[in-house]
Amino acid sequence: MNKKSTRILAYPYLVWMAGFTVIPLLMICYYGLTDRTGAFTLDNILAVASTEHMKALWLSLSLSLISTLICLLISYPLALILRQHHIGKSSFVVFIFILPMWMNFLLRTMAWQTLLEKNGVINSLLSVLRLPPLAIINTPAAIILGMVYNFLPFMVLPIYNVLAKIDDNVMNAARDLGADNVTTLTKILLPLSIPGIISGITMVFVPALTTFVISNLLGGSKILLIGNVIEQEFTRGSNWNLGAGLSMVLMVFILISMTLIAKYDKNGEGTAF
Amino acid sequence: MNQPLIDLVNISKSFDGELILDDLNLSVKENSFVTLLGPSGCGKTTTLRIIGGFVSPDQGRVIFGGEDITRMPPNKRQLNTVFQKYALFTHMNIAENIAFGLKIKGKSKDYIRDKIKYALKLVNLDGFENRSVDSLSGGQQQRIAIARAIVNEPRLLLLDEPLGALDLKLRQDMQYELIRLKNELGITFIYVTHDQEEALTMSDTIVVMNQGYIQQMGTPEQIYNEPENAFVADFIGESNIVDGIMLRDELVEIFGARFACVDKGFGQRTPVDVVIRPEDIDLVKPDDGTLTGVVTHLIFKGVHYEMEVTTDGGFEWLVHSTDMFPVGQEVGIHVDPFDIQIMNKPASEDEEAVGVNE
Amino acid sequence: MIQTSYAKLKRFFENFYLICVLIFLYAPIAVMMVLSFNSSKSRSQWGGFTLKWYRQMFDSAPIMEALYNTLLIAFLSALIATVLGTAAAIGINSMKKLPRTVFMGVNNIPMLNSDIVTGISLMLMFIAFGISLGFRTILLAHITFNVPYVMLSVLPKLRQTSKYTYEAAMDLGAGPVSAFFKVVFPDILPGVLSGFLMAFTMSLDDFIITHFTRGAGINTLSTLIYSEVRRGIKPSMYALSTLIFVTVLALLLLTNFAPAENGKEPDVSAARARFKKGGYEKWLLTAVSFCIVAGVCYTSWRHLAAARSDELYVYNWGEYIDESVIELFEEETGIHVTYDLFETNEEMYPVIEAGAVLYDAVCPSDYMIQKMAENGLLSEINFNNIPNLDQIDPVYLERSQSFDPQNEYSVPYTWGTVGILYNTKRLAELGIPAPTGWKDLWDERYQGEILMQDSVRDAFMVALKTLGFSMNSTSTEELSAARDLLLAQKPLVQAYVVDQVRDKMLSGEAAVGVIYSGELLYLQEEAESLGLDFTLEYVIPEEGTNIWIDSWVIPYNARNKENAEKWINFLCRPDIARMNFEYITYATPNQGAFELLDEEYQNNHSVFPDVSELATSEVFQYLGTEADDYYSALWKEIKAH
Repeated sequence: MNKKSTRILAYPYLVWMAGFTVIPLLMICYYGLTDRTGAFTLDNILAVASTEHMKALWLSLSLSLISTLICLLISYPLALILRQHHIGKSSFVVFIFILPMWMNFLLRTMAWQTLLEKNGVINSLLSVLRLPPLAIINTPAAIILGMVYNFLPFMVLPIYNVLAKIDDNVMNAARDLGADNVTTLTKILLPLSIPGIISGITMVFVPALTTFVISNLLGGSKILLIGNVIEQEFTRGSNWNLGAGLSMVLMVFILISMTLIAKYDKNGEGTAF
Repeated sequence: MNQPLIDLVNISKSFDGELILDDLNLSVKENSFVTLLGPSGCGKTTTLRIIGGFVSPDQGRVIFGGEDITRMPPNKRQLNTVFQKYALFTHMNIAENIAFGLKIKGKSKDYIRDKIKYALKLVNLDGFENRSVDSLSGGQQQRIAIARAIVNEPRLLLLDEPLGALDLKLRQDMQYELIRLKNELGITFIYVTHDQEEALTMSDTIVVMNQGYIQQMGTPEQIYNEPENAFVADFIGESNIVDGIMLRDELVEIFGARFACVDKGFGQRTPVDVVIRPEDIDLVKPDDGTLTGVVTHLIFKGVHYEMEVTTDGGFEWLVHSTDMFPVGQEVGIHVDPFDIQIMNKPASEDEEAVGVNE
Repeated sequence: MIQTSYAKLKRFFENFYLICVLIFLYAPIAVMMVLSFNSSKSRSQWGGFTLKWYRQMFDSAPIMEALYNTLLIAFLSALIATVLGTAAAIGINSMKKLPRTVFMGVNNIPMLNSDIVTGISLMLMFIAFGISLGFRTILLAHITFNVPYVMLSVLPKLRQTSKYTYEAAMDLGAGPVSAFFKVVFPDILPGVLSGFLMAFTMSLDDFIITHFTRGAGINTLSTLIYSEVRRGIKPSMYALSTLIFVTVLALLLLTNFAPAENGKEPDVSAARARFKKGGYEKWLLTAVSFCIVAGVCYTSWRHLAAARSDELYVYNWGEYIDESVIELFEEETGIHVTYDLFETNEEMYPVIEAGAVLYDAVCPSDYMIQKMAENGLLSEINFNNIPNLDQIDPVYLERSQSFDPQNEYSVPYTWGTVGILYNTKRLAELGIPAPTGWKDLWDERYQGEILMQDSVRDAFMVALKTLGFSMNSTSTEELSAARDLLLAQKPLVQAYVVDQVRDKMLSGEAAVGVIYSGELLYLQEEAESLGLDFTLEYVIPEEGTNIWIDSWVIPYNARNKENAEKWINFLCRPDIARMNFEYITYATPNQGAFELLDEEYQNNHSVFPDVSELATSEVFQYLGTEADDYYSALWKEIKAH
């Protein structure tokens, strides 16, 4: 192909990215590094060290780590089973995990509220079965559940995609060379699926870390995550500078995950979908 | 003679209700090079996978060195496989790939190191220990796959179209390599291919398969010179297969002309298939030939000329000859009696040579 | 496989596991579908089967408009993103390594960055460059986060495409453009299509970025739902979601699984799978286009019906007007009203301050009016245009002077108190007497039974009043004491909520809740109509409470000031004020309207308390930025605890 003329095709998007990705990020930095009067300050960044922000950040980190881990533990066996059953027509797998997204995200999360409430569906079922009620609504456990529920597809799909690409004969070769099922899993499948796992982890961890909707809906606003802090600075506290400063701190974590992705995803194409 | 190393007894297998192997029996002797040859879908790969343990037969038994291994998982079997497209572990370097089986067996580090060195030398890739899989060419990857299998000192090596992805020159080189390896190692090889030339070059024994049946089993010479049916004749090498009538012993009528042959015992006036290899047809003056025809095509092939001779019935004979006859010339066809193969017409649909495509 | 018992067991566990995950994924969806047929509005009571929510959904203009917006934005953004992204993917493929890496790095930002940061950054930029928030900005934002998904699915396909096919086409006489469209494009088409669908789905499901980049009068389904979430989602929303879901499901099932026989030969089944996949995308595209066309027809019809001559942008609390009042106003004046909702004063303020959306009439509360006036965000009302002002009881104008000293910026709309709503049956079960004051909210027997207001000033009001301080206190000692008190209460609190308190009290989730007096009538009527086995009562705490007044103001940057005055005057008309009272059930300061009410209402002391009952009560005042920051810092401490 004529390289110069095809390269031009990338320019419109290049301009777009400059306008709608780079400049907005610079705006965040501008707000984050100034106070209300527009004077330079680092206070907004340092504010993250205050007790309540640290608490919120710590809680966000731990909840999102836990839910990422749970997602991984659910997804890996699931992806393995899907691969084995040769439900391999990948459109089917994508279909099953993308379909819930056509039901609105907020409604899906609200539905969990209905399920988990004190007098909710699950507790009604439990009481029919004469089992003790489940009291996790408005607790961190409910938030974790919400995170796992909403972000599970983002873990399953990349892992499944990597696993599906592994030639059956690679596994057969391992078995042929004397490896039992466990060894095949740990020595062959796991190492080969690391790009998918990493991609899945970032795709779950980042949104979980920064969510404010899930904690609002399932945590009864009793639990403050860093996402809630930022959202409230913008929509309620009206201290945009502080909100922007905290966003910058969040971006550090996002940068870390981007570096991880870049390291494991040599082709630069991601494996998400 | 040697004991049979592996015996397949009454093996049947179907996928999704379609019969792939039907009551197959096959016995392979120790230290032989056996090739399963046939068109795609003939069941040869399935047979290999049953021996390897990746597919379980619906019926029948697999006996390996006197032991029934039908239900034994692949990792317990004393045999190794070289897979189509190699199936190397891309997340490991070459040494780790080769060491994989040995590590699982719990061999010592020194032993493993020596073995890797030995195996790499054997496949002419000394010093490749730390290279990554991606940095190797197809032929090199193929050799690593072989090295990875043979370091485990299997009694039987299964090779599933291992040369399919290589180009012609490399394929020919690797054929000689494989023969050399087999002779050096003294391992039994079972080799799957759809390439008749590969089969003829390397094997002690060729098993021609089609539609889940073994069509013929024998040495390359037997398979080539004495095909048992039209399918084998057509699949192995080029052939003229024509309808004939066996008038009596040692005399067959083709297109109204009578040819002397050496076959007996077909009875009288029996319809048969007659196979004549292109290089066995002698073109002579029209008066000296048993049949006469006109040269309709002529191509120079280097070693010989390839010609098409159309006879009265409209049949086009394929002829290989070092003598050239120009297009349009009238010629006579003569065949020596021992170059004519007479075969019974196929008894059933299954055995018929249909859908053969190379 | 051999069907040994081990293999069977394994298969069973695998299927069991798969089914568990599927139940987990689809249980909430099933719940929503069931709720869409529930004739009771409550989320936890089954009131019988009904289709009324489906009828209501089709009749509801906001829902249909939001649906149209959602689909149109999803379609346009996916389409534009597909064009941009495909072109960029082709361009990037012929770049050198370094620029390509940088390009991909920047491209990945919107996908890897958290939605909240992306949303905020875009909002900041739009505001900084004076792009008013609205349909355009949502569209731009959606395109921005959609392109990476398109590139992600196009790039791999592009890599698989042999460059020789392109050269072959050129060799056979095709020009570069036709060579591309005839040869390369068909090859990457599956990637382009799945990129489009991915982008469409992502756009459809997005809430957070839309939340930050949307403006007046424009809602997508997500933002509409979010504004409904806290005060209870209307079941018609479940109906809509069910309908969308079932449509997509049916289409996919039809195309994916209609030929249910198993492929026999591997080649054929692979080919069929490819065919099916193509079919799946084709059908989904058809479905999407159908939705769009239907939507376009619907709205163009609506727009024709309402030929707009004159504009008015109104920004009001959710559920704070009888919607037929808007229609009456439009009919009488010919002014087209764009009606938008906010949920808290604090959410409204920055929107007005930034001028991101230019509203003409806004309805904030007392202290917020003071803050807006002090910061110059309000324009004086020309009372000559509001003759109906004489219908407003002078008492309330007097009270308004605590935040609007000259009565020059605001016209009172509703007023009321904040008090405690309690569930009589639940209290009896717990063996607690009915609460009389705020102090009862620290009774340990209420463990997990309290619903507190999720709003800084209201929460601190409760604590300050309990301690006997002024609720407008700025004293750090008093506020610290209040904070400690609220911290001590937190373990007893079930949740901090705003309007959701209604739903939760109705479904018997909690024993007591702090609510605005205006909710009372609605709640009692609803409890009766649901046939609940408990009653809800309201008490004005003896320590005194917040007397709040919500008034109409006109922002400094209003473009249709006279229309705003017409609007305010219209709302002051006694018959209209009465209509609104009967709909929102918040006490009206309108004397004319009060006189039109049934006696039953007039004598309801919970709604219209005597002045004597309110001796210790106050009106919120704006305390300045510093105090505001201090309040929110303390509140954050409580929340983070």
